[in-house]
Amino acid sequence: MPTETPRKQFQSPKKPKQSPNNVKSQSSTPSIHLSPQTPQLPLRRSSRRSLQLFTSKTVDEMLDLSTPRKALEALDGIGKCSGNNRKGSSVRTPRTLKCKFNEEDREIPEMGKVGEGNGEVSPEALESKKRKNGLSEEGSVKMGKSPKCKLNEDLGKLGEGNGDVVSPEKRKKGLRNEESVKTRKSLRCKLSEEEMEIPDLGKLGDATFFPVSPQALESKKRKKGGEKRAVTRAMATRSLKKVNKEEKKGRKRVYYKKVVYDGGEFEVGDDVYVKRREDASSDDEVPEMEECRVCFKVGRGVMIECDDCLGGFHLKCLTPPLKEVPDGDWVCGFCQARKLGKDVEFPKPPEGKKRVRTLREKLLASDLWAARIESLWKEVDGSYWFRGRWYIIPEETASGRQPHNLKRELYRTNDFADIEMESIIRQCDVMSPKEYAKANDQGDDVFLCEYEYDIQWHSFKRLAEIDNDEDGECANGDEDWNSCKEDDSDTDEDMEYEEENERNAHARPSTTHQLAANSRKGRFFGIRKVGTKMIPEHVRCHKQTELERAKATLLLATLPKSLPCRNKEMEEITTFVKGAICDDQCLGRCLYIHGVPGTGKTMSVLAVMRNIKSEVDAGSIRPYCFVEVNGLKLAAPENIYTVIYEALTGHRVSWKKALQLLNERFSDGKKIAKGDDRPCILLIDELDLLVTRNQSVLYNILDWPTKPHSKLIVIGIANTMDLPEKLLPRISSRMGIQRLCFGPYNYQQLQEIISSRLKGIDAFEKQAVEFASRKVAAISGDARRALEICRRAAEIADYNMKNQISSVNSSTVKDVVTMADVDAAIQEMFQAPHVQVMKSCSKLSKIFLTAMVYELYKTGMGETTFEKLAMTCSCLCTSNGEAFPGWDTLLKVGCKLGECRIILCEAGDRHRVQKLQLNFPSDDVAFALKDSKDLPWLAKYL
Amino acid sequence: MGREKEKEKLSEKALNLLRSRLSDPNFIFRPLSDSPDSNYSKLKFIISTSVTEACNNSILLLGPRGSGKVAVLELVLSDLLQQYPEAISVIRLNGLLHSDDNCALKEIARQLCMEHQLLFSKVASFDDNSQFMIAMLRECGLAHKTIIFVLDEFDFFAQGKQRLLYSLLDAMQSVNSQAVVIGVSCRLKLLSDERFKELIDTYLSFNFTIGHLVRFLFQAVSYMDLSAGFLSLGNFKTALSSNQRQPKLECIRDCSVLELYMMVCMKRLEVKEQASYNFYSVMTEYKSIHDSFQTSDYYAANVCLRAFEHLLQCQLISFIDNKGHNQSVEFRPVKLLISSAELHQGLKSYQQCPAILLKLMDR
Repeated sequence: MPTETPRKQFQSPKKPKQSPNNVKSQSSTPSIHLSPQTPQLPLRRSSRRSLQLFTSKTVDEMLDLSTPRKALEALDGIGKCSGNNRKGSSVRTPRTLKCKFNEEDREIPEMGKVGEGNGEVSPEALESKKRKNGLSEEGSVKMGKSPKCKLNEDLGKLGEGNGDVVSPEKRKKGLRNEESVKTRKSLRCKLSEEEMEIPDLGKLGDATFFPVSPQALESKKRKKGGEKRAVTRAMATRSLKKVNKEEKKGRKRVYYKKVVYDGGEFEVGDDVYVKRREDASSDDEVPEMEECRVCFKVGRGVMIECDDCLGGFHLKCLTPPLKEVPDGDWVCGFCQARKLGKDVEFPKPPEGKKRVRTLREKLLASDLWAARIESLWKEVDGSYWFRGRWYIIPEETASGRQPHNLKRELYRTNDFADIEMESIIRQCDVMSPKEYAKANDQGDDVFLCEYEYDIQWHSFKRLAEIDNDEDGECANGDEDWNSCKEDDSDTDEDMEYEEENERNAHARPSTTHQLAANSRKGRFFGIRKVGTKMIPEHVRCHKQTELERAKATLLLATLPKSLPCRNKEMEEITTFVKGAICDDQCLGRCLYIHGVPGTGKTMSVLAVMRNIKSEVDAGSIRPYCFVEVNGLKLAAPENIYTVIYEALTGHRVSWKKALQLLNERFSDGKKIAKGDDRPCILLIDELDLLVTRNQSVLYNILDWPTKPHSKLIVIGIANTMDLPEKLLPRISSRMGIQRLCFGPYNYQQLQEIISSRLKGIDAFEKQAVEFASRKVAAISGDARRALEICRRAAEIADYNMKNQISSVNSSTVKDVVTMADVDAAIQEMFQAPHVQVMKSCSKLSKIFLTAMVYELYKTGMGETTFEKLAMTCSCLCTSNGEAFPGWDTLLKVGCKLGECRIILCEAGDRHRVQKLQLNFPSDDVAFALKDSKDLPWLAKYL
Repeated sequence: MGREKEKEKLSEKALNLLRSRLSDPNFIFRPLSDSPDSNYSKLKFIISTSVTEACNNSILLLGPRGSGKVAVLELVLSDLLQQYPEAISVIRLNGLLHSDDNCALKEIARQLCMEHQLLFSKVASFDDNSQFMIAMLRECGLAHKTIIFVLDEFDFFAQGKQRLLYSLLDAMQSVNSQAVVIGVSCRLKLLSDERFKELIDTYLSFNFTIGHLVRFLFQAVSYMDLSAGFLSLGNFKTALSSNQRQPKLECIRDCSVLELYMMVCMKRLEVKEQASYNFYSVMTEYKSIHDSFQTSDYYAANVCLRAFEHLLQCQLISFIDNKGHNQSVEFRPVKLLISSAELHQGLKSYQQCPAILLKLMDR
């Protein structure tokens, strides 16, 4: 095709390429990262329809456009027209075919016609029709009851159809009806008229109109590289607000949460296939269902997927045929044979029929791209766009495909682009490993994504699981609520810093402090660099044993699924908090929680706050702010003001200023921002560390809740029971009223805690758990300690097991944690090492220690001097036939023992007058030295 | 002649080999590493599980100085760095240098920046650094990288508020990171604080003091006679004697006769069960000796005071307590720092020792 070459040129710069060299060369060309408004972007618009939009206008019209951006875009469009016109027809097929229907699905009777319509309407006819019709009508033109939706910003119409959007559940149900295993996709794009007509009202209601002004564009352009710049709604709003005054034109961009476009329903957060090239005419038919690799028919029979080559096979086409889909991995005969080193050829398709590749195959062969929709909007000219975040296949990364990459693995990149909706083919499913493991019969368009790929540094990083949570929160649409949470870094302020910083990074790298990774502003930028160049093999190829799983769940860092044994306390906290915030008056209150370490104080409070937050989300409780501070993490007690103020408002000021502002807010009742009238819950962990000499910090913090309009609730946590009593009376009267004690756990509770964590993992003997919990309960009742002991015991068992395997190939390797392992762990943890050290120290040190004990018995005084001790030592030595080495050597020995803190001693230069004292009970020394083999006579003196 | 030289060359080579092996901890500790009971394999197992299973861990290595704690640790770390070159970054802190929380965090941030080729700012605040550290812990966890914190002289970190340890170990309990904190200490009784004690999981204790042996062997090897080409028993004996020095006796050898007199006087006072004595009481004793024996060595009080001060400087005598700094030297009570047996031995080996002194010692 004559037009092929220019097209390819256009396309190549849009995505990071396989080899690092390529990427480098590309990054020098500005086109990759340019933001939507730059002229290069329309390149992305690969489909024909966009072109038609342009061609339907006159060139004059286009050039008449008021802003340079528009003009550029238009010009670009013209440039592309020539290339695209001819090929248009081949491009459009995927969309029509996509709406494959299922005869058995009675719910949608019209579907039957779709297939026929498809055959009848010739591309040319469509073309001409489309020219006549506006974009919004296009859909209906296309094959009668086509999946075309009308995107309606006309809010007046919204009332009617919102209830009819097919919920995911419905989709799934439909899926089960499907005959073939691999066909979920068809349902995705199944259309019913109601669904098409109008997008979800609730979502659209959110859509607001934002004017775009040149200034805003300017600022965006300056940021080179769209990387790391998710256009969130908040951001867009912000940048637009700034320039609100200047803008006069009626041009508006409309943002949506969900768009029904061309038969597919696209939401922010969805993953979609995106067209890459239009010229691949051989691929113009995209099969709705994959063909069997043997009979090359779609057919109705159940298909099974080979885990190696991902090819589909009818069960009945296999040799021997299978009755049902087997559990676990299944590899087809061809792959098995190939693995054995044979040369295998897949059956050739029958004459005249070409094997049709599915979208999945195309994607994995990088003939297609996949992206995640980050935001959706409608341009001024009526075209629909979305900001996509590219996915990348392993072959396209700098490190290439690694042997342990899964077949369906994709990486999420930090590369964004604005894409016209037109180039979307349809949805696909990119899942986290957890979801992927569960997804069995979900069709062919399922991919796994565990890592994010940084296109600048070519490094991988696991996707944080928090990511998903955040998305979920945003979907709730409660932005205000989010912004007051302490850990929410997406407040506008932060974003601005980050952007600024990024700009600085490119503009003037001289200001080192600004950019240093450990400074506040530079952290974000710097940390992005951290990543692994390759995904380590052990992560993927290692299968966890029971013991390793046990170790993982016993880790303190893993959050338990349930919190047993603290129901009463949690209830009390819940009633306290609810009582405080639900009260109309919202009188400030104060709760003091105390208990020994490891009894679940902080955890319970946080769990309660999580529960309450979910109630807020559900709407049954009014929103509030929650601020969490840890006393030990503050550089100085006064810094707490800064931390609180920053958490509340997002601004960072000095502590004096913060104190003044907080005083204004809580004491004087001045409300500055709009969220200020919400109740505020302040959790202070390790409260005792805030005690200063004049106790002013505690006084201030505990004084605010007593003020009439403060709406402040303080929850203080500390270990000491009598902290209020130790404080000045004016403080304790403000805080000591409501208290909650977390007693140490008893052994049943500890046992329950451990076994609740170990549920489903058969790695511990029952007695072993009981033993550990009894031991810990007897000593401290510290749950952390109990968990650590069990984990250490599992580690010891694991260690022993692995050693046994490596040394002897015995089959009788036990893989459970026994009492002995737990005992070893307890010994390690509780038994002080001094006995062991005394047992194994040198002869002279043993004599020295014996002399210390002997001296102690003789005089009854704990403290002795070196002179006396040396005399005793020489007596002992001479009477038992040992050579006495002299005072200087003896002094050295004493100092060594002093260094280990077995004895306490003064500095060695005091020599004869040096004072000495045993640091451990004399019984320990006696116990350690009684049976010493090299000096049996020591026992006489002990 | 030529053969002699060749022989010498060869023995020099042997000497160098011996020396290099003795000063290479890898060579010394490697043979001990294979058995499953050795600290080496235990330590290696714990750290490598943290790498492969993505978990946090904290270990405390205890043992007297010179028992090879750090040597074994370094051995393990170098092995693991070879095994997982990309996945490990080691942060080293020393309690003697970084016991201050602020400075320790800064150092951690600096080393983290170095490891990951990031820009580092000296002026970042405590908060910034600690947030940076926690962020790095998380990011490294996501990137399958393990951070190993080696805290040498751990006891210094366990003093005061222990803010660093708390934030480090607390981060490891809450953040999804993979980090190992390894404390190295020679103090057995350092974990008096409960809050902190709960955080350390594993204790490994070392007790075999190998440092001295190595030093002794090194000395013995250094005494090797190059022309003979072999180590002899004599070499070891000289090394032993130079290892077991008796500094006080050596001091006596350098003393003047007058100083010897003064020490004998002190000894006599002690025999008389006079627990404490100062310059004047020593002078009285000295005078009485002179009166009864009419020795030729009688000096004026100011000369004696000089001798007394010299003894103080040699630390053959010392003040009993630190009280009374403003008092002049001659009034402060002192104490003899060598035993009478040693003094006797010293006098005997002193060449120009007056006979009368030895006599006085005996009585």
